Amino acid sequence: MIKIVIDNKPVEAQEGQTILKAAQQAGIPIPHLCYHPAFPPEGSCRICLVEIEGLPKLELACSTVVREAMKISTQTPRVRESRRGVLEFLLADHPLDCPICDKAGDCNLQDYFQEYGAFESAFKEAKERREKKIKIGNNLILDRERCVLCTRCVRFLTDTTKTQELGVFRRGIRSEISTYDAELVNNNYSGNLVDLCPVGAITDAQFRFKTRTWFLVPAESICPLCSQGCNIYLDYHPGFPRVSGTAKIYRIRPRLNPDVNDHWICDYGRGGYLSLLSDRWDKLVWRKGDRESVLIWEKALQILAEKIRTLHVIKRTAKIALILSSWLTNEELFLIKKIFKDDLHVEKIFFADPKPGTGDGFLLQPERAPNVRGAKEIGFALNSARLEDLSQHTDILIIFGPFLAELFSTAELKTVFDSVGTKVLITSRASGLESLVDFVLPASGMAEKSGTLTNKNGKIQSFSAVCPSCGDSRPEWSVLVDLAKELKVNARYYSLLANPGAIFRELAKEIAFFRKEPLWIS
Amino acid sequence: MEDKVLTRNFGLENLYKVDVYLQQGGYQALKKALKEMTPGQVTEEVKNASLRGRGGAGFPAGMKWSFVPQKVDQPKLLCVNADEGEPGTFKDRYILSHNPHLLIEGIVITAFAVGIHTAYIYIRGEYEAVAQRLEAAIAEAYQKSFLGKNILERGFELDLFVHRGAGAYICGEETALLESLEGKRGHPRLKPPFPASVGLFQCPTVINNVETLANVPFIIGKGARWFMDHGLPRDGGTRIFGVSGPVVRPGIYELAVGTSLREIIFSHAGGLKPGKKLKAVIPGGMSAPILRADEIDIKMDYESLAAAGSMLGSAAVIVIDEETPIVDVLLKVAKFYSHESCGQCTPCRIGTSWIYKIIRRLAAGGGERGDVDELVRLASNIKGKTLCPMGDAAAMPIISLAQKFRTELESSLKNQ
Repeated sequence: MIKIVIDNKPVEAQEGQTILKAAQQAGIPIPHLCYHPAFPPEGSCRICLVEIEGLPKLELACSTVVREAMKISTQTPRVRESRRGVLEFLLADHPLDCPICDKAGDCNLQDYFQEYGAFESAFKEAKERREKKIKIGNNLILDRERCVLCTRCVRFLTDTTKTQELGVFRRGIRSEISTYDAELVNNNYSGNLVDLCPVGAITDAQFRFKTRTWFLVPAESICPLCSQGCNIYLDYHPGFPRVSGTAKIYRIRPRLNPDVNDHWICDYGRGGYLSLLSDRWDKLVWRKGDRESVLIWEKALQILAEKIRTLHVIKRTAKIALILSSWLTNEELFLIKKIFKDDLHVEKIFFADPKPGTGDGFLLQPERAPNVRGAKEIGFALNSARLEDLSQHTDILIIFGPFLAELFSTAELKTVFDSVGTKVLITSRASGLESLVDFVLPASGMAEKSGTLTNKNGKIQSFSAVCPSCGDSRPEWSVLVDLAKELKVNARYYSLLANPGAIFRELAKEIAFFRKEPLWIS
Repeated sequence: MEDKVLTRNFGLENLYKVDVYLQQGGYQALKKALKEMTPGQVTEEVKNASLRGRGGAGFPAGMKWSFVPQKVDQPKLLCVNADEGEPGTFKDRYILSHNPHLLIEGIVITAFAVGIHTAYIYIRGEYEAVAQRLEAAIAEAYQKSFLGKNILERGFELDLFVHRGAGAYICGEETALLESLEGKRGHPRLKPPFPASVGLFQCPTVINNVETLANVPFIIGKGARWFMDHGLPRDGGTRIFGVSGPVVRPGIYELAVGTSLREIIFSHAGGLKPGKKLKAVIPGGMSAPILRADEIDIKMDYESLAAAGSMLGSAAVIVIDEETPIVDVLLKVAKFYSHESCGQCTPCRIGTSWIYKIIRRLAAGGGERGDVDELVRLASNIKGKTLCPMGDAAAMPIISLAQKFRTELESSLKNQ
């Protein structure tokens, strides 16, 4: 450890650390635009200059390494004047179109102006006019007037994806970010450019002009689209009180986790998950022949429990088959294990997961389900569902998730289902399976429930509900607990499992793998 | 003239050919260095000679060499800065075209001193004929075993390459030069690390100006003491002053470091053309702060000029006569730096453009009260705040012009 002084406050820093990092750790913010923790210092925006005792010039906080007994000032008139000078330069040519800029409210340039600028413009000359709507990627729009040339985007594509689709072209005041000829930014991480951009120069074509950032509440979550388990923010608009249907998740952004995804997420997850969030099945349906009746949950669970209990009493639970999914949380899979394997001794347990894709060697994994590892650790064999397994002597078939529809055609499934007594589907998404079953129980989406997932490396990560469950839907774990109580096999045990936290504690008690880290925040 | 060292034989026909150069005692210093001296002794001699860099910053050359780590796994490299982009400067061009072997000899001795086996000459793109002559001289030097493997049968090896720039001023800045030489955009690098430890292709690199290295054969051949006698104790040798503007004899003048500016303009360059009167002088290339006519009784060395608030820079003396409006000088300066800013860092990219826009308005008769103050304020926000020295180079002349010629500039403003 090195002892330094920042703004007269003694601070401990690590050897080799930069002033900016040491100050950040000590809770002293230093403005910066070109610096980003994922890349080596660039030193081009010049807004992080600070005063160091004994040195004649102001020095870069982002690149200057601390030395023992270094005395640094970040708030002297000279430093503040220098920041103001940089802001004045940046804003001289800036279009100041914050009212129509997606970044407004979330913009470093705006924030720094509030804190260090707040001057009347002295710029009397004509502003440089530049192109404002350039398509640089399938989902990316570049506004060159807003660009501050921090080159974070160029460096990301050079250092991180190594795809190098963007570069700086021309010189001086005419410098501009551009693609090479008409080749668009085309890699699975292009969405990160929007997050990296400290201003509104690169915007997301999907998100553009849809809402204002200050309405959005960022909620911590986990991307479920593959087994990497990238940490994300779901930016949720709680809705306007008098306008129905305005509550919505507008945007997915990466959340820093050096162990899992660093600063990034892939476009497959970002775009894919966002579209899933709005693709919801939320009606509780009981179909008898051609007739559809609307049910309440209590009644539906009573009917189901009665059917299962009957088979249990006559020791025919071999006629029950389950199709699970690795989209279920650790808690839900654990409940299924307790109820169906341990209590009822059901043997026909299969999995239907999305078909594996190709990994990209970075974050996106071939396994397109978030909890494959969790299912294995809980003790499931993960046998993929086969048609012949289902058709033989099945009285009750309970299907979790929509993925069976991806594995088999409707005609194939219809033939098999005809020989099955009662078909129950618990799903959060419409997939076509709904019309083939007797009961459709709407499950909450990932963003509407809480739980934990185990990524491919065995990291157990928790997530919490971001928004209320839509329509009639309920989280699978609560459906399972209520069903277990109705079954009256081991009702006392289940009545204590009132939330995912309690279920996880039971899981950890029973299976050593889950005892690794006390991560559940109830 | 007895002071001449580098340019002594410039009048000689075909001096650029190796045979003529050899007749004049060429490559004797190299023989001495390779046969009689150790690399350490060569460096020590150059240090003792107080040879300061001739590119503009004036850093002691011997000290620069000793910053290169002795034991490294990577090869050590030498880059010769022949980009000569500072407006008003044309001294290196004379050395390169009249006496390329002098530079080559200096390069080989330097490479020997530092333990370098690959050297590059980065020459500005506009010097096409000069580059061809340099290439021919290098070919001759290879033939005569002054370059290549086993130089002068002493087992020392050096390869020398010429790389032509594409015309950007910024590539004269040493780290931008390295980037350009590597085939990238000529953007200056963040320092540290300094090129002596991480330079060209990530290898320890010595970067010296053409004139600096051209002095090395004399230091080795005639000794540090002889060299010092031509200059000042902390600034040895001669300087090639390039005089331009409305003088009787514009051109290069090799004189002792410390010769007075008045002497250079009025004795050597023959004073101003008939009927012209001196108004101001830019003493060290365009980025040097301007001196008024009453400030020219000054010694032309780093310290004297720094004390007067200017700098020796590349020793390019730009003479300005009374008829030249200062606003025109300002316009030239501002247009140049705004055009040549690489655009990498904020203050230089936007500041130089803003300043140019104000001056363009001023020159067109649209100047307003407060514009001169605004120029000084904006230039001050560039000075000392940029990634490379070009920010200072752009800001200093603006500040000095605006401050020293405020009355003239303000007399043309509206709203008086």
